[in-house]
Amino acid sequence: MTYLRLGLVAIAGLAWFIFLPDYRTLGINLMLLAGWATAWDLLGGWSGQTSLGHAAFVGLGAYTIAVTSTRWDLAPWWGALLAMALAAALALLWGKLTFRLRGSYFVLASIAVAEILRLVAINERQLTGGAIGLFIFDLKEPFGLDLFDRGVEFWVALGYLGLVLVVAAFVTRGRLGYQMRAVREDEPSAEAAGINPEAVKLWAFAISGGLTALGGCLYGIVLSALQPQPLFEIHLSVRIALVAIIGGRGTLFGPLVGAALITVAAELFRNVFAEANLLIYGALIVVVVLFAPSGMLGELQRWMVRRRYARSAQG
Amino acid sequence: MEGLAPLLQNITGGLLIGGIYALIGVGLSLIFGVMRVINFAHGEFVAIGMYLAIALFADLGLDPYVSLLIALPAGLVAGWLIQRVVLARLIDAPGDSTLLVTLGLSLVIANALFLLFGAEPKSIYLPYATATVDVAGIRLPVAQLIAGAITVGVITLLWLVLNRTEIGRAVRATAQNRLGAELVGVNTRQVHALVFGLGMALAMAAGVILAPLLFAIPTVGSSYTLKAFVVTVLGGLGSVPGAIGGGLLLGVVEFLGASYLSSGYRDAYGLFAFLLVLLFRPQGLFGRETKRV
Repeated sequence: MTYLRLGLVAIAGLAWFIFLPDYRTLGINLMLLAGWATAWDLLGGWSGQTSLGHAAFVGLGAYTIAVTSTRWDLAPWWGALLAMALAAALALLWGKLTFRLRGSYFVLASIAVAEILRLVAINERQLTGGAIGLFIFDLKEPFGLDLFDRGVEFWVALGYLGLVLVVAAFVTRGRLGYQMRAVREDEPSAEAAGINPEAVKLWAFAISGGLTALGGCLYGIVLSALQPQPLFEIHLSVRIALVAIIGGRGTLFGPLVGAALITVAAELFRNVFAEANLLIYGALIVVVVLFAPSGMLGELQRWMVRRRYARSAQG
Repeated sequence: MEGLAPLLQNITGGLLIGGIYALIGVGLSLIFGVMRVINFAHGEFVAIGMYLAIALFADLGLDPYVSLLIALPAGLVAGWLIQRVVLARLIDAPGDSTLLVTLGLSLVIANALFLLFGAEPKSIYLPYATATVDVAGIRLPVAQLIAGAITVGVITLLWLVLNRTEIGRAVRATAQNRLGAELVGVNTRQVHALVFGLGMALAMAAGVILAPLLFAIPTVGSSYTLKAFVVTVLGGLGSVPGAIGGGLLLGVVEFLGASYLSSGYRDAYGLFAFLLVLLFRPQGLFGRETKRV
């Protein structure tokens, strides 16, 4: 079933590429947001640790690719590998420090860590170019493909989303996935069953951070001009988290559904909502939390399960 | 940078701005203490206060210190309504749902302010408030002195309400034990609504006081939300006196850090302190160690 749905995502991507050539940038943004939200969900949904600091990983990825390609003349794939390693290391350190905090305290700490990293990006000018930022003007071409071409970027973004979904499917169905859910539902009971909650959360955070940073690398190339303001901003962290929550936390395709719905809706109603972007996010999250706390896909799944029970009870 | 005068100048400046942080933090802490709600929209309430003062000044020529008399009751009513309409549905909801709803509210408010007032910075120019007074070699802007005086007044008023009235007794009882308070006849639902209203009124009052001091932009709120969190965590979440101490401390730390270390990291000092306290003294700097089951 999962593979069928993954195939559907690939076909949808292909169809978008063929039939909507004018909307490739929108498609890239959609797939990046969906990839980040799916990666966020490994920690936020499956493991129950809400983070409002994931923009830090996006920024880290984008800046790593910029520094390695323009200053050290490294090929982008090495830069991306380095970015993922750095992000995993950052996640381990960050988690080691803050996983002792529960619930709201963890959320607050995640904001604080991301804000400090943003201030570092603004102030450490030698490394990051400060508020002016960095430019990516030259990239080694893998297999002769020009990474600044929107068409190529579209395929890379689709590949990225596919990779994140496959990794998430693999992780959540495996041993780690069961442990993550056990820790989310009841940490003391999980511990009593022989699970090390801290190790499980650290794994989830490292994978989540690494995948987010990989998307950040691609985002950096798409933007070509990096500034700390949009990349490290808390609004990006909030957007990543809200998209996943609106689509459905702890479901494989929920974050993708959330990202697709919001991105497409924002584009369709661009004339009306051009300046009311955040208003939509804010109102949607209030409505979802009040009336559909499992998110759109989560509520759909619950409804289908209920209907199946009702049928079997009748029959 | 020689002598004691610059140091004293920085400390008084920090204390005066810290008083406003305290006013914001007290409301957040009160809301958390009574309702166990982390209010992510708190900074946006400050922004509403700023824009209310600016609008009243621009349209009616009302002095911001007079519009305080409008902002306080307006905040009380608005907060009461928000609690009754939205948050009351989530009193026993699991995990972070109240946090997410207040986060959503903060986005809605910031965006609404942008649609109403536009993105360009706005402020209030008061000729008398830009003057400075010399006290023993320390220059003090009049606007900040007035802000300090009002802060002291409002916090004293809050203290009287909490400690000298029957309503305050009900609030404190609900904070200590909601079920226990209900059993002795406290209407805790009304108390929750009242406390959220009080918190919003305090935040809006802080916004009104800030309006003549700095420029307002629609996104100004989120930085005050962060500051309010820093203040309350420094003082211990849920503790009103702690929030006052935390606010004053944050103001001084920011001023000293900005002038003696690096001004680019002005906002980071508070966040560092916040993380350190959260990790190593989660009960706050002034709190006693308690074990929670």
